[in-house]
Amino acid sequence: MYISMSINNSDANRDRPTQEVSLAVNDEEVTADIEPRLKLSDFLRNDVDLNSVRIGCEHGVCGACTISVDGDLVKSCMMYAVQTDGSEIETVEGLSDDGSLDPVQEAFHEEHALQCGFCTSGFIMSTRALLQDNPDPSREEITEQLSSNICRCTGYQNIYEAVETAAEKMEND
Amino acid sequence: MSGSKASPVDTEIDEETNEETFTGKGLDRVEDHRILTGRAEYIHDITPEDCLEMGLLRTTHAHAEIVEVDAVAAEEHPDCDLVLTGEDIAEHYNPMPCGLPGISEWSLAKDRVHFVGEPVALVVASDRYVVEDLIDLIDVEYDTLEAVSDPLVARTDDTVLHEELGTNVPDDDEFVFGDVSDAFDEADNVIENQYSWGRISGVPLETAGVVASYDAETDTFDIDCNIQLHTLVDDTVYETLGYDADDVALNVPPDVGGSFGTKIALHRYCALAAMASHQLDGQPVKYVEDRIENLQGGDMHSSDREYLVRIAYDDDGTIRGLDINFVDDYGAYPRYPVNQVLKPLSVLTNAYDVDAVRYSYELVLTNKTSQTAYRGFGVDPHLYALESVVDEAAYDLSMDPYDFRWGNLIQPEQMPYKLPSKNIYDSGDFPEAQARIKELVEEERTEGGLLDPEIVEQRRENGKYRGVSYTVHIEPGVSGADWTDRQRSDRDALDDRDRADVDELPEHLRCEVGDDGTVTVYLATDSSGQGHQTIAKQLLADELGILPSEIEVEYLDSVEAPTEYGSAASRMAVMLSGAAQGLGETLADNLELLAADHWNVETSAVAYQDGAVEMIDGNDRLTRSELAEIDANFGDRLAQASYNYQHPATDVAAFDEAFVRKYPVYPTAAFAANAPIVEVDIETGEVEILKLYSLRDCGTQLNPTIVEGQAQGGLAQGIGAALLEEFPYDESGQPQAVTLFDYLLPSTKNIPEMQIEHSETPSPFTETGAKGTGEGGMIDGPASIATAINRALEPMDVVVDRIPATPNRIRDYVRDE
Repeated sequence: MYISMSINNSDANRDRPTQEVSLAVNDEEVTADIEPRLKLSDFLRNDVDLNSVRIGCEHGVCGACTISVDGDLVKSCMMYAVQTDGSEIETVEGLSDDGSLDPVQEAFHEEHALQCGFCTSGFIMSTRALLQDNPDPSREEITEQLSSNICRCTGYQNIYEAVETAAEKMEND
Repeated sequence: MSGSKASPVDTEIDEETNEETFTGKGLDRVEDHRILTGRAEYIHDITPEDCLEMGLLRTTHAHAEIVEVDAVAAEEHPDCDLVLTGEDIAEHYNPMPCGLPGISEWSLAKDRVHFVGEPVALVVASDRYVVEDLIDLIDVEYDTLEAVSDPLVARTDDTVLHEELGTNVPDDDEFVFGDVSDAFDEADNVIENQYSWGRISGVPLETAGVVASYDAETDTFDIDCNIQLHTLVDDTVYETLGYDADDVALNVPPDVGGSFGTKIALHRYCALAAMASHQLDGQPVKYVEDRIENLQGGDMHSSDREYLVRIAYDDDGTIRGLDINFVDDYGAYPRYPVNQVLKPLSVLTNAYDVDAVRYSYELVLTNKTSQTAYRGFGVDPHLYALESVVDEAAYDLSMDPYDFRWGNLIQPEQMPYKLPSKNIYDSGDFPEAQARIKELVEEERTEGGLLDPEIVEQRRENGKYRGVSYTVHIEPGVSGADWTDRQRSDRDALDDRDRADVDELPEHLRCEVGDDGTVTVYLATDSSGQGHQTIAKQLLADELGILPSEIEVEYLDSVEAPTEYGSAASRMAVMLSGAAQGLGETLADNLELLAADHWNVETSAVAYQDGAVEMIDGNDRLTRSELAEIDANFGDRLAQASYNYQHPATDVAAFDEAFVRKYPVYPTAAFAANAPIVEVDIETGEVEILKLYSLRDCGTQLNPTIVEGQAQGGLAQGIGAALLEEFPYDESGQPQAVTLFDYLLPSTKNIPEMQIEHSETPSPFTETGAKGTGEGGMIDGPASIATAINRALEPMDVVVDRIPATPNRIRDYVRDE
């Protein structure tokens, strides 16, 4: 089901060229007239109001802005929004619409795999992608996948536990 | 008092037992759900209607005179709402308070810039992208000056940063405890060495952010921001604006994306956004620091020290004396955490029983971004230098460092133990901790273990050297407030102080009962991921005999809250415990008064029990919601309470000496014994931590899940400091780490498996027996890893005396041998 959402921030764009994009964000159709230089991360946060997309570095290291674009894991600060014309985007907001938690979110809670929480959205998206491809990852495979995301609080021990717990939950589902 | 004994702890929660109390259990965090679903509101997410965006023009020069700022092109651009320069600021506002007297720091540079990244002008427009365009239109003409980036050169004063100070060493001090000269004259041996601690910081994932609104009608400011210690450091904002404390409300969102001490110094941003809103008749102005700004000019670097340490010891391995001297590079301005150079006095000899100690420091200014606080607050480099020189003394005597350390440990029967520097360790069995960590590692020496002698030998033949060291460390907790302004005090007058002159800050809590019986508790401190909402619920649920789910936790802004220290210095477990206990009792008393008045009986005829008040004869009962309703029609407002918990050391006379002389007072001594097993590749210089064993004791654990998280996260930061993280500068003052490609944060690839065990030695000084534990791993990780590297390289006779121990550095040491 597509709910249409139209964004026009022309006031901010006076005299500067814009481009229309149309994409699906968490199963919602979004059309927008935006500047080509607008980063995807800024577009999702400021224009589509998806605050789960966190901005930690804007140079592709920290992974806090990690989302899914057409099924691929992407650091949204490293893409321009206009590059996603026609794409399907998924963020943490799309994982559940009734406030319930999906197995990965549940596992992060149960294993105390977050403290300040600023990196958490990115870790959840990365973990979901890992478990979709590899339902029973080894510690080494978890290390490899999650090395693209930085957490400054937890020391990662509980994040490993959470990934393994999430894998078990998904297997049992 | 010395009877407190460590007991092993089971950190697992038993879901089956229907426990009546919540404190001490791994209660799930109440903060998690909103974060996990993307609904948490961090400062970056707050954007009021009509909010404008601010950006800063930052200088690329390390040291230069500002000849002219030409902002005409920006100002005349149709999209520009405001430009302010240092001259404009100076006309209307004040300089920012510094950590030492005699020096002014302007929130926008006026006349001269002192470090790369220092803001020179601010620009406001409706869109951040446009703001950045407009910044590019501003032209600044500079006359460059000689820059000084090496603190050892800066202290010669050939190039002086601030003419009004006349020196780059605005503060230094020397403390002599015991008979140091005798100790060094009489000891069988004395050695001396230098150690370097690289410039590091907390680098939380969330950068600074501010949304400021000026209200012209009331002439007041509302400032949402992620500053840390908003009730303590609010003066740095309102004094800069030239307003009273009551006119400037700093409000910190419940969710802050990490701070680790670094965000106490966000006053520049808070003040500038407020000034911009002020100039724009109250239109809200938002500023979000980007990562490059944060790393190079975000006022957030921390300890950067060069140590010269001497140790005097006898042939039997007894340490007779220590002589610890260091230079700390504070960058361009001596900001608030100038007392980072003093906190090590609270753990002066670490876990060792040594009477004679000399301690001196020089606080040096250079053309670098200014220092802020960071987890550990200067204790981390101290323990690194101390444990390194202890190692070398052991090698000198051809003693096993384990045995050398063992012979010098403070014994449990000496507890509480007063240090030469007058702080007191409350409780702990350090020898038992050192023995236990060794016992844990022994298994690794059996066949197939990481330290199986055969494997160690095989690896060494391939150029991979393994080693382990066993060190015990003290984490001082629950700082007092009175000593923290020592460097701004008349030090000669300190000898004349008495106990009545000591002014401590209590922890404030208040609560109210809502119509539905919900108890809303208000914290006067801000949080940045530590789980204070969860802890407050646990503590108060137990005090009131109700469920955590019947309690809501909210936060007070800086105007609503009294001035208090806040969540730093590993304080909250202890301060919240005491405050929650007092608050619960006060609320129960108030509700009893209310019920007694309603029933028209004596208060002795009623009793608060499990969330309600009953007649003792059992004839009547009032629930919390009924009491709230009665209270609404009652003049005295009794369905609420507030409480100020006094700092626990104020009750212990043994601390008076430290209090009176303004020596650091930290009444809890959490401790840890670490044993990292490292492998050093002498071809590449890479250090891998194969496994990290740690035994940790923070007294009674309020929430073992949160304690474990603090331990793991602290150790990870300790690993970063030991192996990866540094803000280097070149000779001309250009920063070499301005992205996260250069300043390397630990990832899953750098963090080993941690095997952490906990024991509980309750503090005799605190209400619940808890000790502070927010900083531990960062305090003790670097020293233990550095000494383990030296153990690994012992066969090559290599001593690594500089951290981070990066591959380049390790290669240099190996090549030099």
